[in-house]
Amino acid sequence: MGKPKLKPEIKTESVVQPSPKWNVVVLNDPINYTDYVVLAFVKVLRVTRPVAKKLMLQVHEEGRAMVWTGDREPAEMMALELQQWHLNAILEKDG
Amino acid sequence: MAELRLTMTAEARKVLTDLLRLIAPAAARVSVNRAKIPDADPEVASFWTETLSAQAGEEARLLATAFASAKGDPAIIVLRNEAQSLAFLRALSAVRFALRDLVFADIPDSQLDGAEDLEDESLPSEKRHALACYSCFGLLQQSLIHQLDSEA
Repeated sequence: MGKPKLKPEIKTESVVQPSPKWNVVVLNDPINYTDYVVLAFVKVLRVTRPVAKKLMLQVHEEGRAMVWTGDREPAEMMALELQQWHLNAILEKDG
Repeated sequence: MAELRLTMTAEARKVLTDLLRLIAPAAARVSVNRAKIPDADPEVASFWTETLSAQAGEEARLLATAFASAKGDPAIIVLRNEAQSLAFLRALSAVRFALRDLVFADIPDSQLDGAEDLEDESLPSEKRHALACYSCFGLLQQSLIHQLDSEA
């Protein structure tokens, strides 16, 4: 009599946690002109002028605006680039 | 993009050049010190510090060269292309921050761009002089922005 073939049932499950997102936030400052900030947003964030103006107004009126969200490394590069324009850019973990 | 030009009187050029000579080394330090460098990762922090320091040095050189080359009356600063114009614009911002931090940190933000401070006899003359230069750098910045961005 042959041995019964037992095939063990193995279930595997991989859980991939999505990496946390990072926000690039620009804070208001008293030195840079509004038109300068709009130009900086157009060049760094590569957004249209109306979008840049809307973000600038948010910074100006509310003191801060979240200008970009994404993975940590590109967020760091974007914040650095904004600081190279002498804007008060900071990184905040999303959520 | 065609070259951009910034025009000023020879006297203004001399005053601004003298001030730049005085403030340039400190301006570079201010630029790095005031940056909000993420400190959680030493490698990232070091990269940011090096990048911002190098940029501060370049900005100081760019301003010094531009003002030194602007001869004649009126004195004309010629910016050859968009990259140079944008770099010049950023450099002017750095100088304004440096003046703010180093010379008149005690003046409220709301009064910074007010011409009344230039007439304020109670302020020491060096401070009034720095305020006038601060305004001039701002005017140059605005002139450049309007040439770069026709909608501004």
